[in-house]
Amino acid sequence: MLAERLTKRYGPATVVDDLSFTVRPGVVTGFLGPNGAGKSTSMRMLLGLTRPDSGTATIGGRAYRDLTYPLRHVGALLETSAPHRGMTAVGHLSWLARSNRIPRRRVDEVLDAVGLTGAARKRVGTFSLGMGQRLGLAAALLGDPPVLVLDEPVNGLDAEGIRWLRELLRAKAAEGRTVLVSSHLMAEMAQVADELIVISRGRLLAETSVSEFIGRHGRTFVRVRTPEPLRAAQELQAKGATSVRRAADGGLEVDGLPAGEVNRIAAAAGVPVEELSTHTGSLEETFLKLVDDGGDPTHV
Amino acid sequence: MSETLAAARAEFTKMRAVRATSVALLLFAAVSVFIAALGGWSAKGAIESDNPGLRSDFTPEQAGLDGILYGQLALIVFGVLMMSGEYTSGMMRVSLLAVPRRGRLYLAKTAVTAVAALAVALPVTVVSYLVTQLALGPHGSTFDADGVPRALAGAVVYLTLMSLLAVGVAAAARSAVLPLAVLLPLVLVGSQILSVIGATKEVARWFPDRAGAQMLTVDSGDALTGLLVLLAWTAAALTAGWLRHRSWDG
Repeated sequence: MLAERLTKRYGPATVVDDLSFTVRPGVVTGFLGPNGAGKSTSMRMLLGLTRPDSGTATIGGRAYRDLTYPLRHVGALLETSAPHRGMTAVGHLSWLARSNRIPRRRVDEVLDAVGLTGAARKRVGTFSLGMGQRLGLAAALLGDPPVLVLDEPVNGLDAEGIRWLRELLRAKAAEGRTVLVSSHLMAEMAQVADELIVISRGRLLAETSVSEFIGRHGRTFVRVRTPEPLRAAQELQAKGATSVRRAADGGLEVDGLPAGEVNRIAAAAGVPVEELSTHTGSLEETFLKLVDDGGDPTHV
Repeated sequence: MSETLAAARAEFTKMRAVRATSVALLLFAAVSVFIAALGGWSAKGAIESDNPGLRSDFTPEQAGLDGILYGQLALIVFGVLMMSGEYTSGMMRVSLLAVPRRGRLYLAKTAVTAVAALAVALPVTVVSYLVTQLALGPHGSTFDADGVPRALAGAVVYLTLMSLLAVGVAAAARSAVLPLAVLLPLVLVGSQILSVIGATKEVARWFPDRAGAQMLTVDSGDALTGLLVLLAWTAAALTAGWLRHRSWDG
């Protein structure tokens, strides 16, 4: 799946700005960005719903609207796509199946897969948010597609549903399928994605693996607890720490020195150390830091 | 071609799955037949009691076509709902994911609307006519009376075109409210009133429903003109709807 120089403007606002990325098969690719970063618009351009002002989006070399029976190639879940409220879950999936000549038995299979068999004949209008999301996922899985494009799929799912979805996405990727999943929740991404596409204000900030992303942009620091924080901070700053901060619980967060070095400096200065540990910033912090840097790609 | 056929079959399934569209079709049948029976029954009473309230131009044949003139309101609602259902929820995105070619989806939708309207209008028109004659009893006419088969055929074509007109208007408006607010009062009272007022009479003759009504008027000399005028309206509405549908972006 390929986005090449996608640009979309709504009036004076450029929602997606010269965005290019590649989504490879066999891994889960996380599409990350704060709300309003242009994720949904980009996905809709990939799926032929929104016309880009310039640039192209292709899936397996073809534009979405040129795919023959597209549901068999791409399964998509969009935040803003909802079935007609007066339809039953079965009714909705049945017409979808017919539109792409998908065997009828798949309707029952996907309903079972998402745990909606019991609600199959209920009107969609009576569904909870979570059930609606499961139905959307059922629709995405209907054509057993080699490509999945899911916009904020965890929205409305309970803890068990989220775990189930995570396993599903990993399993699909392990089968060699292409999985693109967006989220504004970085912690969620860290648990499911292998690769990351990070955007902010419509522009690409990073396209890399999760571990590399954290390694490159993440903050590694050493936590120190001591009864003499002031003296410790002075000593450490004098001996090469790039920054020493006081955490809320009174401990120190030391940047720029490895744990062993911190320990030696403290011992040499006669400062007692009660606790010493190394921390790697979470994806959440890493992401927020990157976006805070102004969303300027030169920072990457 | 087979992809278009699959899209049309899907639209057919969708139509049956959405409760509102099915209800509208049922309502069309029920209202038409009920009014047809009621009209025949009250006319019979009027004839037998020499009631002066009976229209001077009353014929049992024409009375047999009154039912569908009221029933058509439900058929217009059906046409509007077939299209507007895509806009009232996020359905259009789902539909375009399944059938990404705009033209294919629009064609499938209009074709299914036309076929469904035709399939329901044909028996309902015939049954309504027969029910009126039955209610008229000894004053009733027959199915093969002069000009009747042509008027019945004209009625079926008229009803089908009106439902397509509704599809076009709904697609152009991208909603249900505006098309219903325009089409229902127009058909129910609007053009009737306008055609009575001298100043607007000439104009009202060219309204889709007034012109089309010539098709179901027994022994009308303007049936063909009426058909052409209604065809022009329907084509214009469907074209406007298509232009709006093609430019849908979201």
